[in-house]
Amino acid sequence: MHIDVRRELARDPWFVTGMGLALLLGLLVLLGPMLAPHDPHDMSFRPLSPPSAVHWLGVNDGGMDIFSELLYGIRNTVGFGLLTGIVALFFGVAVGLAAAWFGGLLDQIMMRLGDILLAIPAIMILILTAALFRPSPVMLALILAIMSWPTTAKAIRSQALVVKNRLHIQASRQMGASGCYIIVRHLVPELFPLYLIGFATKARMAMFMEASLAFLGLFDPSRKSLGLMIGYALKYYYLHIWWNWIIPPVFLLTLLIMTVTFLAVSLEKVFDPRLKEAW
Amino acid sequence: MKVFSRRNGTVSAYILAALIMIYLSYSLPAFLPGDFVTAMYSSSHVTLTADQEAQIRAFYNQREGFIRYLGNLFTLNWGYSYAFLTPISDLILHALPWTLLLVGIAHMISMVLGFIAGVEVAWRRGGYWEKIGVGSMTIMEGVPEIGSGVILLLIFALYLGWFPASGAETAYARHSAGEWAWDLLRHLTLPLSTLILAYFPGNFLLTRGSMVMVLKEQFVQTARAKGLPTIRVRYVHAARNVLLPMATRFGLRIAFMVTGALVVETIYSYPGLGTLLFNAIGMRDLPLIQGIVLLSSLIILLVNLALDYLYGWIDPRVKHAY
Repeated sequence: MHIDVRRELARDPWFVTGMGLALLLGLLVLLGPMLAPHDPHDMSFRPLSPPSAVHWLGVNDGGMDIFSELLYGIRNTVGFGLLTGIVALFFGVAVGLAAAWFGGLLDQIMMRLGDILLAIPAIMILILTAALFRPSPVMLALILAIMSWPTTAKAIRSQALVVKNRLHIQASRQMGASGCYIIVRHLVPELFPLYLIGFATKARMAMFMEASLAFLGLFDPSRKSLGLMIGYALKYYYLHIWWNWIIPPVFLLTLLIMTVTFLAVSLEKVFDPRLKEAW
Repeated sequence: MKVFSRRNGTVSAYILAALIMIYLSYSLPAFLPGDFVTAMYSSSHVTLTADQEAQIRAFYNQREGFIRYLGNLFTLNWGYSYAFLTPISDLILHALPWTLLLVGIAHMISMVLGFIAGVEVAWRRGGYWEKIGVGSMTIMEGVPEIGSGVILLLIFALYLGWFPASGAETAYARHSAGEWAWDLLRHLTLPLSTLILAYFPGNFLLTRGSMVMVLKEQFVQTARAKGLPTIRVRYVHAARNVLLPMATRFGLRIAFMVTGALVVETIYSYPGLGTLLFNAIGMRDLPLIQGIVLLSSLIILLVNLALDYLYGWIDPRVKHAY
């Protein structure tokens, strides 16, 4: 079954495109500091100078090299998304599996808690805390993760309930395996596809929110971010800077969100048996 | 043993969520280092006279009880914006209609069009249009509002100059009613298109996906075998089943959509809640930020709750399940 899925993924154009773009962006993120020709915080260049051999994309209003800013900005956006995705996934898997395996009151309390968290609009909590306390981006990513685990937990719980009643689990139970052993050895690996889907959708949402919050000016202004760059550049849109200052961060951000979307779409398509028919 | 009944469970989840939001908004400022007024005043660009400052300080340093805070909330007594020097309720109630207009129309158009397009494409399975539609819409699904909004602004407002780049109406212009409506529409076009571009693909893809599954069901075959006109089979028999996943998805994505709407309003300086929030953040007007956050959260919760009741109407099976 494993090989089958892999082959299916390799044949899916969305997955192939997404993976290709992800590799490209991954390289950009990893090698960013090495590729950047200048320190992105260096404000000593002539403001608003057009692109040249020294400044590939010119200099912004604060005298900073736009190309270097771009390379550092995408690192922050990607980092925020990955951190939120990982933490939300961790909570989602832990709660989902525990609720499915132990059931009863724990299950009900966790799912009710999930309902409440789902009902609270996460973005509003983020705006409120960011405006009041100006916490670090890591803190905001953690808050977002804590707000957004329930969808993953619910998906994992319902699938775990199905797997729980399969024959091989019952067999290992009768041979005396403990709950922990079955969860770790059987449930965790068997639900693997759900983790990928959950992670991709959460990371996508987090990157989108990071860009939007930065655009609205809720992060530390000295922290490089694609959203913040777009926000600053838009103030000068009447100058002739749109192609070297506005378009590059917009393009990069769109490419990033698109990449994660393609991966999420193709994973859902390949792993969700109900959707397979529909494509 | 079922401790919570389903319907009561969801309703109480919303009520609890609303109380949590109100309580957070009430209690969080107390955790600020120093007092509230210094915290916001010291880092903003606004200058106040000594008299104004004393007034504001007196207002914010009185710690009222939570019940009192709730009471003030319902009597629109939300405090005073020191950056705009206007009561917060005035500011918010002036901005809210614009947001509701923009977001409401965007949702209506993208839902109706997405629904119809999805149903029609699923009906003509495997066609040329399906490939193009699914491909282009999956790509569009990956374009964030910041991206599409900025691009539309650059092309249609800046380069071609067809539409105004900011605002909701031309200031200081005296118009007849017809001209006024035309002016309003011209200002609405770009932000509205951006939001529709963001909402439409999801609606289309979901409708198509669910519709393809529904069309395999036997009751569709029965309906066709009875010789009903195909348009009746398509919409009355089959497509009705797609409404439920659509409503569910709407509820799940609402935070996403609100974020996008905030950004779009800011890009086009549309005078709704998003732009107001952006300005409030820029001037660090904490009471105003709090007010906007709280009101938007409550509206979102209300929409979600209404949606929950809508489920029963859309799909009678849900009602019987309770």
